[in-house]
Amino acid sequence: MHISRREFGVLAAAALAFRDHSASAAASDPSVFVTGMDLPANLDPAQILDVQSTQLALNVYDNLYRYEGNPAKMQPWLATDHTVSADGLIWDFKLHQGVKFHDGSELTAEDVVYSYQRVLAIGRAPAAPLQPILKPDSVTAPDRNTVRFALGQAYGPFLAMIPLVAIVNPRVIKPNEENGDWGAKWLASNEAGSGAYKLMPASYVPLEKADFEKYDDHFMGWTDNPQAIKKIEWRPAKVTSTRVLALLNGTLDMTDSFLPVDQVERIEKSSNAHVAKNVTMRLLVIRMNNTKPPFDNINARKAFAHAFNYTGFIEEIVKGNAVRDPVPIPNNIWGFPKDIAGYDFDLKKAKAYFDKAVSEGAPMKRPIQMHVQQPLEQTVQASQLFQSDLTTVGIDLKLVNDTFANLVSIATKAETTPDMWIHWVSAYYLDPDNWIGQMYDSRFHGTWKASCWYKNPQVDDLLRKARFTTDQEDRAPLYEQAAKVIVADSPDIWIYNMVEVCGVSNRVQGFRHCPVGSGGEVRWMHLAS
Amino acid sequence: MLRFILRRVLSAIPSLFGLLVFTFLLIRIVPADPAAALAGDNATPQQIDAIRHEYGFDRPIAEQLVRYIAQVFRFNFGESQYSHRPVGLDIRQRLPATLELTFGSLLFATLVGVPLGVVAGVHHNRWPDFVLRLFSITGLAVAAFWFAIMLQLLFSMQLDWLPLRGRTGTGMVMPPEVTGSLLVDSLIAGRLDSFWDALRHLVLPVATLSLGALASIARFTRSGVLETMQKDFVLYERAVGYPRRRLIWIYVLRNSVIAAVSQIGLLFGALIAGAVVVESIYDWPGIGNYTVQAILTADYKVMLAVTVLIGVIYTIVNILTDLVHGLLDPRLWEQL
Repeated sequence: MHISRREFGVLAAAALAFRDHSASAAASDPSVFVTGMDLPANLDPAQILDVQSTQLALNVYDNLYRYEGNPAKMQPWLATDHTVSADGLIWDFKLHQGVKFHDGSELTAEDVVYSYQRVLAIGRAPAAPLQPILKPDSVTAPDRNTVRFALGQAYGPFLAMIPLVAIVNPRVIKPNEENGDWGAKWLASNEAGSGAYKLMPASYVPLEKADFEKYDDHFMGWTDNPQAIKKIEWRPAKVTSTRVLALLNGTLDMTDSFLPVDQVERIEKSSNAHVAKNVTMRLLVIRMNNTKPPFDNINARKAFAHAFNYTGFIEEIVKGNAVRDPVPIPNNIWGFPKDIAGYDFDLKKAKAYFDKAVSEGAPMKRPIQMHVQQPLEQTVQASQLFQSDLTTVGIDLKLVNDTFANLVSIATKAETTPDMWIHWVSAYYLDPDNWIGQMYDSRFHGTWKASCWYKNPQVDDLLRKARFTTDQEDRAPLYEQAAKVIVADSPDIWIYNMVEVCGVSNRVQGFRHCPVGSGGEVRWMHLAS
Repeated sequence: MLRFILRRVLSAIPSLFGLLVFTFLLIRIVPADPAAALAGDNATPQQIDAIRHEYGFDRPIAEQLVRYIAQVFRFNFGESQYSHRPVGLDIRQRLPATLELTFGSLLFATLVGVPLGVVAGVHHNRWPDFVLRLFSITGLAVAAFWFAIMLQLLFSMQLDWLPLRGRTGTGMVMPPEVTGSLLVDSLIAGRLDSFWDALRHLVLPVATLSLGALASIARFTRSGVLETMQKDFVLYERAVGYPRRRLIWIYVLRNSVIAAVSQIGLLFGALIAGAVVVESIYDWPGIGNYTVQAILTADYKVMLAVTVLIGVIYTIVNILTDLVHGLLDPRLWEQL
C-alpha cells in the first residue's frame, strides 16, 4: 500500500492530536498531588476508623497528639504538652494558642471537649477503645487552653488512644445538626477541621473523588516545607492494575500499600516511580473459630498451625515484603515477647497432631471452610498455599470468597463466624492492646478482632491487668506472659508483620511513612518539577 | 400500538414488584449483619446493638420490607448507610455516566456489528465470513477484564493515545449538565474541547464493553442475512436486475435484523452487568462502580435501589425493542 507524503502528514497529525495530553497534565503540575487510595466511605472521622479515614483525618484535621515516623513516636500536636496526676486519673493537656479552624475561628479547649463528647455520643468505631474508660462528662475545659480528662480508673493505653480523636469545629457542625445527630449526616460529606488541607466541598463525590487545598494558616506554619503541595486530588483507582498503570504513566503520585508482588516488581522496573518499603505494624492472621469442632480441640488447632508454610509464603509469595511474627503482637512494639519461637512449618508434626486430634474424637475429616477477602489478592494466595499443604495432611480445606464487610458482620456470633478466615490487624493506636488486647480478651467477643472466640480466664486477667496498669515497664511483662499462654493454646495462626509496599512517583519528595496512616500525611511532601 | 405499550407497562409492574421483594429478602436473609459492617473496626457488641436498633435492623423482616416498599412507592430509596446521602441522589449523579457508557457501547456494537454481519452473510464461506467467525468467537470468549488491561497497555501506556481511566481529563471543566451525557451536553454548549475530551475517555471503555455485544449482533445478523438470501423475493429481484447493493442493504437487511434487534434488548442487560467490571477497571464514575463499593461495604439500601433501577431500565429497553421490532415488521404487532 502506497501512502503519499500528504497522507502521511495527515496521519501523523491525527496521531499527535490523539496523544493523551491530559494524562500528563497532573504529572507536570508541581503543585498538585494525586493519590489513588480509596476514599473513606464517608468523611466524618467520628464515624469510621480504617486506613483511608485515618489518612483523611491526618490531612484535614488535627489531634492533641499525633503519631509520626517509623518507628512511630507520639508527638505533641495541638497540645504543647500534658501532665498526669500521680494516681493516673487526671490528665491535663495544654493547647497551642491561636490555632485557627478552616473557617477562621479559634480552636479552644471547649472545641476539644466537644470533639471527644461527639465521638462518644456517635458511638462508632473510633469510640470503642475510649468508651470503657471515658464518659462524656469526664472531659472538661478548666480554661480556654486546657483540656482535662478525669478517668474513673487508671488506664494504660489512654495516652496511646488520644490520636484517635480528630478535633472538629462545633461552630460549623451545630447549625447542621438534625434530630440530635451531632451533625453526623452533614459531616459525612463535609469537613470541620483545622488541618493542613481543607476540603473543596464542590469537588466531593462520595467514593469517587475529592479535592483538598493547602490551608495556609495551619497552626504549624509551612516554614519547614516552603514548597508544600498546594492541592491534593483524591482519585481512587478501584483496580490494582489500573492504579499501578496510572502511577507508571504519571497520572497518579501514590498507590495503596497492599500491592501484590507482581505489581511491586513492575513498579521497581519503572524509571518514574519507586516502591517505598517500610516495616509497619500490620499483622496477617488466619482465624480459627475455637467454638466449632474440630477447632475446639487444641491438637487440631496445632495441626493447622504447623501446616502453614510461613517461610515459603513470606519468601516466595510476598518476596520478603513481610517479617515472620509468630505472636499476636507486632515485633516492633514494646511488650513483644522475644523468646517465643511460635509454630514452624512441619507437616510431620502437623500429621502427628492431626492423628492425636482424631483419636480424641475431633472431626478432622469434615470439610473446613476458609473465607478469603475479595479483592485482596494476598489473602487468596495465602489460603491456596495453605490448602495445598493441608491436603497432604489429610485436611479438606474449601475456600470461600467473601468481603470484609460481610465477614465483620457474620463474626458477631460464634455460630455464624466461619470455620476459618484471614485478615490483617492494622495499627490504629500504638499499644499492644490494639492487637493482643482486643483479639484475645473475651470481653470483645462479637467483634471481628476477637472472632476466634478464644476464652481463657488467665489471659483475660492478664490483659485486663495490663490495661489498667499505667507504667509501661509494668505492662510489658503482662503482655509477654499473656502472649506465651495464648501461643501455647494456639487459637489462631499468626503469619507475619507486614512490610508495607507503596508505589510512589519519583517526583514525590519528603514521603514519610508511619504505621498509622500508611504514609498518607501530605504536609511533609513536595513535588519535584 | 398504544394498547401494546400500555399492556407491556402494566405487565412490567408485577415483575418489578417481585424483583423488589425478592432482592430485599435475598439481601436481608443472608447471615450478614449490616449493623456490624456499619459499626466498623473496633466496634463493640453494644455499639453494634445500638446501630441495629437505630436503623431498625432489629425489627421483623416483614415489617422492614413493608416500610421499605412504602418508601419506594414515594420514590424514596432511603439513604446510604455510609455517606448518609439519599441513595436516589447518588444514583442520579452516577446514572448518566453508566447510560452514556452502555448506550454508547450498544450503539457502537450495532453500527459495527450489523454491517459486519451483512458482509459475512453475503460473502458466506469466503474470507470475510471466516474473519468474522474468528472475531465473533474471540469476542464472545475473551474476558472483559483481560481485554481492558490489554487496551490500557497498548493505547494508554505504549502509544499514549487515550486516557487510562476516568470520564474527564485533569483540569477539564465540563459544560453545565443538561442531559447528563458529557458528549451531548458538550455539543449543546458548543464546547468541542470538552466533547473531544469526553469522547477520548469513552473510547476504551466502550471498546471493552461492546466487544461481546458486537460479536453477538454480527452473528445474529449474519444468520438472518443467510436465511433471507434464500427467500424467493431476493431471487426474483436479482433476476429482474435490481441493483445488488440496494437489494442487500435495504431489503435483505430489513428482513434480516429482526432476530438481531431482539438480541439487542437482551444484550442491554448483559451490558449493564458488564458495566460493573468495565467501570471498575476504567474508574468510570457510574452506578456499576457504585454498586461494587456498596457490595464491599454491605450498604444494602444502595444494592436494593440499584437492582430495582436496573430492572426498570431493562424493562424499558425491552419495551422499546419490541416497538422497533413491530416497526420493522408490522405483522408482529398482532403476535406481540
